[in-house]
Amino acid sequence: MSFFGFDSSRHNPAATGFSQAHNPFAGLSNREDEGDALEFEETYDGLGDHLEETGDAFNDDTFGDTAGLDTGPVGKDFDFFNTTAKVADAIEEEHVRFTRQQPAARAPQPAAQAPAYAAPQQAAAGPSSYGYYPQPIAYKPARTGYEKYSAEPVAELQVDAALWGVAPKKQPRPQTVPAASPAPAPAAAQSRKVLSLEEVEAQMRAQAKKATQATPSPAPPAAAIPASSQAQVPPMHYDQAYQFQQHAQLQPPSQADHAQTDQVATHGHGHHVTILQRPGSKQAPSPQPPTQPAAHLRQQPSAQPTQILQNPNRLSGDTARLGMRQHPTPTMPASYPAHPAHRQQGSLSRQPQIITHPSQLAQLSEEEKAAYLEQEAKRAKRNHKIFLMSRDNGIMTPQDKSFVTRIQLQQLVAATGNPNDHGTDESLTEDFYYQVHSQIQGSQRQHPNQPLNNFAQTYLFQTGSRQGGMRRHHRGPENHMQRMEQQVQRAVEAAKNKPKNKQLVIEGSLGKISFSNAKTPKPLLNIKRTENTTEANRPASAHRHIAHDGDRKSDLRSIERIYTTLMQMEDNDRNMPPPPANDADTEAIQKFVTWNSEAQILNNKLWDCLRIHDHPDNGRVHPFIALLSYTKGMKAMQRISRHLTHEQRTTILTLILVNLDNLEVVRNAQVTPEVMQLNAAMRENVELFSVSVMSTLFTILNELDVDLVAGMLGLVCTRNVDVISKSRIGASMLTMILSRAEIIKHGGGGNEQAWRSWDATHTQFFDLIEPSLPHTFPGPVTTGDDIYVWQLLAALGIGASPDQQQRLVLAVKDRVMDTVALSNTLPQDLAAQRLQNVNLFMRSIGLDVELLQ
Amino acid sequence: MLFFSFFKTLIDHEVTVELKNDIQIRGVLKSVDQYLNIKLDNIQVLEEIKYPHMSAVKNVFIRGSVVRYVHLPANAVDVPLLEDATRREAANQAGKGK
Repeated sequence: MSFFGFDSSRHNPAATGFSQAHNPFAGLSNREDEGDALEFEETYDGLGDHLEETGDAFNDDTFGDTAGLDTGPVGKDFDFFNTTAKVADAIEEEHVRFTRQQPAARAPQPAAQAPAYAAPQQAAAGPSSYGYYPQPIAYKPARTGYEKYSAEPVAELQVDAALWGVAPKKQPRPQTVPAASPAPAPAAAQSRKVLSLEEVEAQMRAQAKKATQATPSPAPPAAAIPASSQAQVPPMHYDQAYQFQQHAQLQPPSQADHAQTDQVATHGHGHHVTILQRPGSKQAPSPQPPTQPAAHLRQQPSAQPTQILQNPNRLSGDTARLGMRQHPTPTMPASYPAHPAHRQQGSLSRQPQIITHPSQLAQLSEEEKAAYLEQEAKRAKRNHKIFLMSRDNGIMTPQDKSFVTRIQLQQLVAATGNPNDHGTDESLTEDFYYQVHSQIQGSQRQHPNQPLNNFAQTYLFQTGSRQGGMRRHHRGPENHMQRMEQQVQRAVEAAKNKPKNKQLVIEGSLGKISFSNAKTPKPLLNIKRTENTTEANRPASAHRHIAHDGDRKSDLRSIERIYTTLMQMEDNDRNMPPPPANDADTEAIQKFVTWNSEAQILNNKLWDCLRIHDHPDNGRVHPFIALLSYTKGMKAMQRISRHLTHEQRTTILTLILVNLDNLEVVRNAQVTPEVMQLNAAMRENVELFSVSVMSTLFTILNELDVDLVAGMLGLVCTRNVDVISKSRIGASMLTMILSRAEIIKHGGGGNEQAWRSWDATHTQFFDLIEPSLPHTFPGPVTTGDDIYVWQLLAALGIGASPDQQQRLVLAVKDRVMDTVALSNTLPQDLAAQRLQNVNLFMRSIGLDVELLQ
Repeated sequence: MLFFSFFKTLIDHEVTVELKNDIQIRGVLKSVDQYLNIKLDNIQVLEEIKYPHMSAVKNVFIRGSVVRYVHLPANAVDVPLLEDATRREAANQAGKGK
């Protein structure tokens, strides 16, 4: 018979007890004697007929996750449990019969079962073996899954799993299924056929006969069972209980289903199972929640078990599970393919297990037993923990989460204030360092005109970029992000439009409540100063008295003014409108003109601040040259030169050359072979000057033509060339000018007249510098660090006439020889370095140090 | 807002925060707010012998008011920019004071 799609051909139908196993109404035959038989129609409320067998796709929605939360009134229509309970006795009997009818292999069982059968009256208090174990969680005697760990397993009570290895999956439970299951699994539906009452009765009679033949004493159970009108305990062994528990733990979402399933599966034990699950879930359903899903689930095992049994892995690896399978607990197979939690369980139980059945424990030593129990306890504990943690799984949908995120973002925007309130400039002033720094470092933005000032925008930018291209393609799930962005934009807009009340005066209150946010903290002090007092209180020195200068303070103040002007110019540059595309665009032209005039004004202001055209009193250093003795003055040079015109830059270069010997880094940084190193502060200044100012001047000089270069050299000749050449900066400056001329010469630039003037200047300059040459080297020959002198000499040598070259050699011959001699005593790399420096000069006059060695 | 603005750029850099109770904590700056409260990750107390109770702590939230110094990673500081920012801040304050 293939009542539930169970393929009986795969099993030995002749096996004792088998044929009874799948007779759903076998138990009824026993009832007939007592006139207590249930009418099929009584157990069937006909609801199933109205249901679509295949329309079970949304069962989970209807009965699944929300079953525990659903507190609404539940109609009796769903009360399948009661219906099931009516035939509970029959199921009980059937079960007992089955267990009884395994004669040979069950040799030890009759004894073991006796207590179990005697127990029915106390079934509610502690059925069979479970009664031995404490229940840590449940307050009523119920199975918690921990029972087996706290006491010795009682082997006699166990059904040896080996028994079941060959036994077919029997299907005694689903007696009520035809009534209660409106939506069987397709597989089950295929092979299932609904029997008429007559057919069932006929079968019952046939089975009863068979059973009588097969079992020597079927009476005892039959007699005993009716007495247990209430919950009869099927001889479930630990594993079953354990699996139950595990099952409940691992499957909070579909708990309702399984609670029900378990109840049905264990017929009379529905009550206990419910209690059993309570520790697992506070939302455990009452014993009579909708049973439809349960019934549905119960349908499947009939199709499923064969498949599972055929799985060799499971057969060999997990006898415990198999044992459980063969017991009338269809829960697992029913939902096995459908629920991830089950897969998890499957994997758990597939882990290598030495002991698959508690009965094997009996053969183990004490230590092994203890270890095993401990391990099991650990596992159970872990499963319990997993369950506890997973209880809140899926409480929030992705929509919920994005909603919460939106709210949080809105609050962020509100809390940090709205930087968009201020203009671009103002937000730049507020958060200048961060804005510019992130521009420089991140270079996320192409143009400073589009600053991502506000936190929300930055935040969204980051999240946006993280999901970058994806968003463009997959509209669906990314929609939240877009909506969030829009939401924030709206929030920002709203905040912008909101009247900016800094204070709230509640009617009738004695004070005001002032708001504060990150941008405008609550002012603790609010001192109002009137304009005139402000002016009066200012120290009278400051900018209005520029005239008296020369002291450090006013110099620094001038530099600060330069910086302020520079920043204004840079701000102005940032706001540069695009140059008008055509003449017709008058508005753009107007804008551009305005901007240009603004820039011009700022340029004039900067030029004034630099005070290039000041003429200092006698003996005083030119104010601009004075600025260059301060580090921040030097640092400003590069920025200044960016904002100046070509003429202005040339003017600055000229001014510096005219005052070259007055520069602090020249005047106070004199080095001679006798004078040792400069002090640290001056060395730093020299270093900074060559980095920030010299490079700027070099750029300026490279724009000049030969006549101007000749002019520059002529200017230098008017100064104290000796002082200039004895400083590093001065020497480098001279090198710069001379080499620039050489470069122009090699490039073929300049006209005849210009070159004539250059040659004249050069000759004059050579005469001036010649006496100083032997003294330009810093420190004795051992100090090294004289490369700049060799560079100067090289620059001189290239442009020199043969006569001049001769004079050059004579002037520095000693130093050359000393260096060569010294290099012989130095380590190779150092020596090579020194010789290379000397060679700079030697090569320029057509010689080589090789000749000297 | 200068310091806030500045510290924001140090996020994800390693800094050493010296507290007013002399504990020095080195860690990666995770966030900072307008009160200069500081969140550090992967922290390490400099004198671990002296403060053994801190050795198990992996990250901290430091209230801004208890910070004495923050030792900065020099290469993460753009000095000229910071100077400019300071100038702007000073100009702002002067402007507000009026």
